[in-house]
Amino acid sequence: MAFGLGLPAFAALGGDVSSVHADQANMKASLKTTAGQAYTLHEIKTPMGMIVHEFVSADGRVFAVAWHGPSMPPMQQILGTYFQQFSAGVQAHHAAHVGRSPLNIQQAGLVVQSSGHPRGYFGRAYVPEMLPQGVTPDQIR
Amino acid sequence: MRRFLLLISVVSLGLLVGCGSGSGGSTPKGVPTGGTGNTQPIAVDGGPVANTIYPNGAFIDVTICNPGTTTCQTINGILVDTGSFGLRILSSAITLTGLKTLTSGNSTLYNCINFADGSYLWGAAEVADVQMASELASSATIQVIADPAANTFTIPTNCSNGGIDEDNQVALGTNGILGVGPEPVDCGLACDPNGGNQFPPEPFYYLCASGTTCTPSFVSCGAICGDTSANQQVVNPVALFATDNNGVIIKLPTLSGGAASESGSLIFGIGTQTNNQVGSATIFTLDSQDTFSVTYKGVTYNSSNNTPSFIDSGSNAFFFPDTTIPTCTDVTSFYCPTSLLSLSATNLGTNNATGTVNFSIDNADNLFAEGGGADAAFSTLGGPNAGGGFDYGLPFFYGKSVFTSIDGAAVPSGTPAAPWWAY
Repeated sequence: MAFGLGLPAFAALGGDVSSVHADQANMKASLKTTAGQAYTLHEIKTPMGMIVHEFVSADGRVFAVAWHGPSMPPMQQILGTYFQQFSAGVQAHHAAHVGRSPLNIQQAGLVVQSSGHPRGYFGRAYVPEMLPQGVTPDQIR
Repeated sequence: MRRFLLLISVVSLGLLVGCGSGSGGSTPKGVPTGGTGNTQPIAVDGGPVANTIYPNGAFIDVTICNPGTTTCQTINGILVDTGSFGLRILSSAITLTGLKTLTSGNSTLYNCINFADGSYLWGAAEVADVQMASELASSATIQVIADPAANTFTIPTNCSNGGIDEDNQVALGTNGILGVGPEPVDCGLACDPNGGNQFPPEPFYYLCASGTTCTPSFVSCGAICGDTSANQQVVNPVALFATDNNGVIIKLPTLSGGAASESGSLIFGIGTQTNNQVGSATIFTLDSQDTFSVTYKGVTYNSSNNTPSFIDSGSNAFFFPDTTIPTCTDVTSFYCPTSLLSLSATNLGTNNATGTVNFSIDNADNLFAEGGGADAAFSTLGGPNAGGGFDYGLPFFYGKSVFTSIDGAAVPSGTPAAPWWAY
């Protein structure tokens, strides 16, 4: 299913629930929504098979995103206003580590963890202080 | 509407300077030279970058030639990576002139690859004959990283993705990457014009013309995707060999702790010669994302849990989640336990084959300091994979012959369909 091109790239992580639909349109993807007690899970699936999970709290904010699939997701699209912070974290990792390794950005306001290889990338990003009560990072998959 | 651009013309890029054959990059630190038969030497020697040690990098020489000719260049310091697919070489390491770049009209075909660590490679898709030992991959599409050296267009955001452009030897840590993982091409059917996708997926292939915005493009993967046209995707060169084309073996000697360097072999083919028989090795078949399952300290890490596990010579340590092991304060991507840890994990293939892996993790700061800071090979180097599963990097390979079979390739009788790992 195709959607219109050129929609504004609203923030995803940290944004409101409308950003989920912007992400879906940008990635030309399908969307499945599952409501839970602590949060609503929006699953965006692209035609290539990349899956992005966007976790939306009861107050309508995206507090976490997770992904897996054959390519890296469009980070600017799904991280929104956190994109620059992510980019700075990548720079810091690269400066410290010679060789290939998983990425583990652990900052007060942002956690990004990325692993895998071409054809099988996996990762997640979340804002620790935005996690709803009772939600742990282990649930962000 | 399907945006399908048939790439049929190949023209000389003509931007490379130099004088024909010769050795690219700096003088190799290690010993690998041209191999014989189906065996190319590997050196874990710190890599080609002056004054920098690349820990646990498996490096080889690769020879590229203008297609159909004997005009060639041997390039040292190429990282052997079973986690990716296709040959990618820095343009700055290539002195050979006359490689053919893929074009469509006045647009050049570019290739992009993202790595999970946030870095990426961008460069033209060009055609070369690729030689290693006595094996030849004719007219292989390779990625020439950062070619042209000065981009005349902006790298698409979905390629750069907020990451690091490893467009030079210091950033990349090597002169190139030889992707000999369990797939024949870097994208496959999803990027193929007949693959059923309405839009070309990103970030893989782009057509770029001077003064315009790059456009995502489909590129044929040839016969393996049911096309009558030839493959033009960046290709695992092994898949193009006339024989010994169904996979590779990485063979490294046993190592205890650290060493200045280690020498091993990249052996082509599985079950095709006397030196590449599976024998008593255990075969672990892979899921659709080329991963398997590992259980460690009672927790199972696999793609069903979105914590996949895999074997990858291009990762330079054992990377796995264990919050009880302290990370180093200077480099948080490595573990720094207070004493040597003896650990165990259990691998499980999709064919239900199981195997126990016993491994040790030492203090990375101490490992790097030993040997006067000159060591490049470490069997006990580990680090966290905080959000994921097990990533068995190069230390896993010491003391083993590790087989990687290529998806879709013919495998020895009695073995399961590829892709699989065996050791």
